[in-house]
Amino acid sequence: MAKFKKIVRSPACTAVLFILAAVLLLSSSIAGTRAALTYYSETYTSRVEMYDIGVSLVENGAKVSWRDYGSKADGSWNENTGVLLGNMLAPGEAFKLGKRYDEVLSVTNSGTIDEYVRVTVYRYWLDAQGNKMTELSPDQIGLHYVNLDDCWIVDEASSTPERMVLYYDRILPSGESTLPFTDSLTIDGGLAAKVSETTTVRDGYTVITTDYDYDGVQFRLEAEVHAVQTHNAEDAIWSAWGRHVTIDDGRIVGIE
Amino acid sequence: MKRRTLLLSALALLLVLGGSIGETIAYFSTYAEAKGGYTIELGDSTEIREEFSNWTKRVSIASDANSEPVFIRVKAFCGSRYTLSYTDATGRWSLGGDGWYYYSEIVEGGGATGELQVHIDNVPSTVTDGDSFNVVVIYESTPVRYREDGSAYADWSSVLDSGSSDEGGAA
Repeated sequence: MAKFKKIVRSPACTAVLFILAAVLLLSSSIAGTRAALTYYSETYTSRVEMYDIGVSLVENGAKVSWRDYGSKADGSWNENTGVLLGNMLAPGEAFKLGKRYDEVLSVTNSGTIDEYVRVTVYRYWLDAQGNKMTELSPDQIGLHYVNLDDCWIVDEASSTPERMVLYYDRILPSGESTLPFTDSLTIDGGLAAKVSETTTVRDGYTVITTDYDYDGVQFRLEAEVHAVQTHNAEDAIWSAWGRHVTIDDGRIVGIE
Repeated sequence: MKRRTLLLSALALLLVLGGSIGETIAYFSTYAEAKGGYTIELGDSTEIREEFSNWTKRVSIASDANSEPVFIRVKAFCGSRYTLSYTDATGRWSLGGDGWYYYSEIVEGGGATGELQVHIDNVPSTVTDGDSFNVVVIYESTPVRYREDGSAYADWSSVLDSGSSDEGGAA
């Protein structure tokens, strides 16, 4: 015991302990930095690494919404949330049931790093008060999807009549755009046949008036675009989107 | 010295333990979204306008201001004692194979068809007091439907608004 005390009290032991403490301190500061990067989100990370991620939703060739990490690398984002279908009708033009309207939706990588993207599209009905009308079928809102057999993969497990989830199966390089995932919108003209009738007599005339079930309701489209880095893509997608994907040679080949 | 050494060692250990807590990796990600829509406005209200003189009914169908665009068709009936003939001064009424007269133009909200004249023929040259006639004019409207290319058409299997005038009279 006395020998142990002597060793502990020796200058050599003190020096060893100091060196050990310095090593531990140094290594712990590295781990702390990594934890800080995690804790403070990619904003801090991108500021350090100088990588700017960005993504834009494009409708009929025009950017509608985007969110790009700011070029000043000060933690700010260059972002805009636009309106879908805003230019579908010419000024004074009335919306026509059954008519096919152009609705070409695609995604542009507006950042400086490559990325994977996925889109989620919602379609539904609102009443005059803005409440969702789940009793009306989303199928009447005919958004026509394209390139599903080419580069867009349907996440069948996550899709419903109201929601469609699509994964772009390849890396989207910086500055480039995907092929469109939709090309047109047609509201079913058969809505005009969904009616209820009332009969009245006015001034000696018998009038049968038909009221539309869909009169005054609003159809809505929502499109969300998500992008994630390509480095450690499978883990990144799992972390950011909550989905396990299988990537082979840069292509998403499976969604679990 | 001893206390200082222990303090530094404890601090180093604390930093090590603290640094290892919650070690996960952050990823670059972002998103953008947009939404939009239109309100469907359906339904119309139409009414028949008639004038009668010289054994002729002058018929026009008017649409309320807030009505959606519609197509119109008209047919008239009378008893076997008389026959009916039609005159169209507008050039926009045409007889269909089903006996209806179809107005070729779309009637917008607030608009009206051109006049269709329905003549009561075989009127006796001498009409005695108390003779009567009864001519019923029926019209129907249907909302303008559109093909995918935007061209308009009428689907008469889906009649939106209909009415009739059961007008009788005495000579």
